[in-house]
Amino acid sequence: MPALDRLAERQLVLVTGKGGTGKTTLAAVLGHLLAARGRRVLLLEVESRESLHQALGAEPSGGAVVQAGPRLWFQNLRPQTVIEELVREKLPIAYLARRITESPAFHQFVEGAPGLKETALLGHAYRVLHGMHRPEVDVVIVDAPATGHGATLLAAPGLMAQAAEGGQLGEMARDLATYLADASRCGLVLTTLAEEMPVQETLELLQMLGTRLDLQPDLVVVNGLYPAVPEAGPQGAWADLLRARYRMNQEERARLARSWAGPLVDLPLLPLERGPALVAALADTLRGADR
Amino acid sequence: MTNTLLQGHLLVVVGAGGVGKTTLAAALALLSAQAGQRTLVMTFDPSLRLKDALGVGDAAKDDAVRVVGVGPGALDAALLDAKRTFDRLIHTYAPDAAAAQRIFSNRFYRDLAGNLAGILEYMAMERLFEMQAEGGYDRIILDTPPTRQAMDFLQAPERMMHLVDNKAIRFALDPWWDGEGRRGLAFRLLAKGAMDLSDRLIGRRFLLDVVEFIRAFAPLFAGFKARAGEVQSLLRAPDTRYVLVAGPGPERVPDAMFFLRKLKETGHHLGPIVVNQLHPDPGPARGKAPGLELLRFLADRDRRGLELLRGLFPEGQEILPLALELDPPTDLQGLGRFAQRLAVARSGGAAK
Repeated sequence: MPALDRLAERQLVLVTGKGGTGKTTLAAVLGHLLAARGRRVLLLEVESRESLHQALGAEPSGGAVVQAGPRLWFQNLRPQTVIEELVREKLPIAYLARRITESPAFHQFVEGAPGLKETALLGHAYRVLHGMHRPEVDVVIVDAPATGHGATLLAAPGLMAQAAEGGQLGEMARDLATYLADASRCGLVLTTLAEEMPVQETLELLQMLGTRLDLQPDLVVVNGLYPAVPEAGPQGAWADLLRARYRMNQEERARLARSWAGPLVDLPLLPLERGPALVAALADTLRGADR
Repeated sequence: MTNTLLQGHLLVVVGAGGVGKTTLAAALALLSAQAGQRTLVMTFDPSLRLKDALGVGDAAKDDAVRVVGVGPGALDAALLDAKRTFDRLIHTYAPDAAAAQRIFSNRFYRDLAGNLAGILEYMAMERLFEMQAEGGYDRIILDTPPTRQAMDFLQAPERMMHLVDNKAIRFALDPWWDGEGRRGLAFRLLAKGAMDLSDRLIGRRFLLDVVEFIRAFAPLFAGFKARAGEVQSLLRAPDTRYVLVAGPGPERVPDAMFFLRKLKETGHHLGPIVVNQLHPDPGPARGKAPGLELLRFLADRDRRGLELLRGLFPEGQEILPLALELDPPTDLQGLGRFAQRLAVARSGGAAK
């Protein structure tokens, strides 16, 4: 079954990859493709500096849910805000809740507790999907934070559940971990460039996902591929540079393909700025390549 | 050298991921060694890239390994293992073997402490400090991990000092936990309230694990705090310079500005900025050759990014353009060729 058909059946889709691999643009591309199939989609971004709006041709969301097209919304989320909301919800006394969320100890706990921010983010996505949110959406696509490995995000609820066993946070984390492990509801898309280090890290991530979390991505996207320039074609330093980039891309892509037999889609490097035109062009390529 | 890249005793290479930081750090170290300096390059990147570029194996984990001797100069490389450094620190500062053992067997330490924000970064700084104190190096070049976490390095010593003074920690050390101590009723009520609340939210066991961890750690605090202060001074010394590596194109400029703002805010000294991986202009080539239009677009995009960055700084700031390599260095020879291009990069000049 083509990867897009499978992704269209998911509720939560995580897009993960190193910074600079076109992760945000890919999240926007997937958002468009799933919305075009009739799904109501919310794109969630977690970076403190917003960039998803550029890909969608919209104004920055400033933390609000903003509509970017038919059945397509996006939101920039701050984990700190989500955690504060959680405390307010569990503590009906506003004064007490404020005292807690404003205390330095609380901030250090939020910054320091392993997996807490990630759990809060995924917890927010879960709640959006379970009707505690307007507009109602069918799919949440998370543009995962570039910091750390994608595996950190996926492993976070399990870690939190274990650490905070017995508390409400622990229970929430345990439910989330179960949810994430359910491949019929949660999907994963990896992006990489066809260069040595990004491919190396993708291979390590694939291995870690398999052994530690028993997870497999629905799709691996190789982004930013240089075009082929025939040897007999144009000459000159510029043509040599492009040929060298193309060769490197092909070698690294082959190395990835040797260890990953699942769905793999190539996306070209295009002469377009980040924006709706780029998203539309890549969406066409992705739809065409995914058979 | 046509630039000031090699000024300073300690050079810290910072920047977002995927902009060629590690290769640049290694090339700088090679240049430094060729200039007759005993030089160490350290990387904390868990993907261990430097290992490939320099041809050093696992032996370089934690301990410096000689890469090449160049006349009076030499190039050593070390790959940091933060957990090992943490373990060694505990051995160093624990009053006795039993105290160290209590920490090692604590569940929180085993499972979680390694993931605590800032701890690994702090350990990296700690190792740097050890190496510069013991190693007898003329210059140390430090590669930092990708993404913004790299900036945690700069604040790690402060955070560590802060942590030791934290109210919550002093609270954890209070004998109240053992049902002992001579605390008044008000304190007991407050403490009980805080405990009940924490229990509801995060579970009593987690809390007790953390309290136990903090208590096991307490005898080490004084040593830690003093050391963190020294590390902080080292990072802010006038002889410690930060080389910022930026990717090409206007889209990467905000990333670079983020690092710069952080450096400035925290009182660290900025050295040159390197704008790396610039696409060269294909020149007057004609026709509809595949890739020509793309390369023109990329060259123009990268030029605009460079101009944008130049416009944001006063005249005196060194901004060094560096062209995308035909073949990224995979061995010492390739690294040497890259280093030569780096040596002749000039502020205001075209990409080399």
